[in-house]
Amino acid sequence: MAADPDEELVRRVGAGEPAAVQTLVARKLPRILALAVRMLGDAAEAEDVAQETFVRIWRHAASWRRGNARFDSWIHRVTLNLCYDRLRRRREWVTGDLPDVVDPAALPDAPRQEDALRVERALQAIAPRQREAIVLVYYQEMSNIEAAATLQISVDALESLLARGRRSLQAILTGDGADE
Amino acid sequence: MAEGSRNEMDARRFAALAQAYGGDLRRWPEAERMAGTAFAASGAGKAILRQAGTLDALLDSYRVDAPDKVLHSSILQAAGRHLGQRRRQWFWWLGLGLAGIGLAGAVAGLALVTIVTPEVQPDHYVLDANVTAFGDAGPDAENGEENL
Repeated sequence: MAADPDEELVRRVGAGEPAAVQTLVARKLPRILALAVRMLGDAAEAEDVAQETFVRIWRHAASWRRGNARFDSWIHRVTLNLCYDRLRRRREWVTGDLPDVVDPAALPDAPRQEDALRVERALQAIAPRQREAIVLVYYQEMSNIEAAATLQISVDALESLLARGRRSLQAILTGDGADE
Repeated sequence: MAEGSRNEMDARRFAALAQAYGGDLRRWPEAERMAGTAFAASGAGKAILRQAGTLDALLDSYRVDAPDKVLHSSILQAAGRHLGQRRRQWFWWLGLGLAGIGLAGAVAGLALVTIVTPEVQPDHYVLDANVTAFGDAGPDAENGEENL
């Protein structure tokens, strides 16, 4: 098993070293926040998720042991679980006759380029598992093996999710279901 | 025929990988990247990558802003609270442990002293030769005799 590049840093965080805490936040916060934003399509909620993720990190840093997953995969799993909690809560509040697509008017950010907004809406419209796979491999730049481990599925299943996700996005964004 | 069949398989796999991972071969599985790069030079390979690249370009346009300073600071403050609390808990348990060890040592020492030290009669028992089992019967005993 390859060495975990974060293992030593996490050990130092667990020992309460302030410099290690700052390094870990600088290294991981952008990744965690980007993951949560793309999963939730809501910057404010994503910030809450990022804060909750770090609280879990502080709680577990002293006792964290690598096991089968790298630290980066573990925090991605924690973040995804927190995102799923929020997506479930949304479904409980939203009535069944509303579309799955997030209303762009509800998004809090300043005006963006049209393409970016279309992609954001399209990502929110596809199945969450497909979105997870695409976000991990495409935006978080995880290898297929890391992404499959994070999602706790096989590489074949990951490829299937990715292909279906890309087909769905293609259909929404270009009106074309084929990708080849 | 066999050559053509193998090329067709390669093309199918190449297309499947492009469908899953997109047109940038750096995202492809490491084990298949080299074979993919070779196939990408072919006409079919270029067409497949061009098609996948259209969606890639759209996905690339969706960027997320970097975390702002307020979020960064609040996470660092939370770290100070949580990790400080853990340290205090650790010291509390350490103190309790040391106190427990000290108490156990004291009890063990007392027990050892009790077992090892020979029993010595206190002086007043030795000097009071008149004391017997019946010697301190007291006034009740006298009353009892009278009643007989």
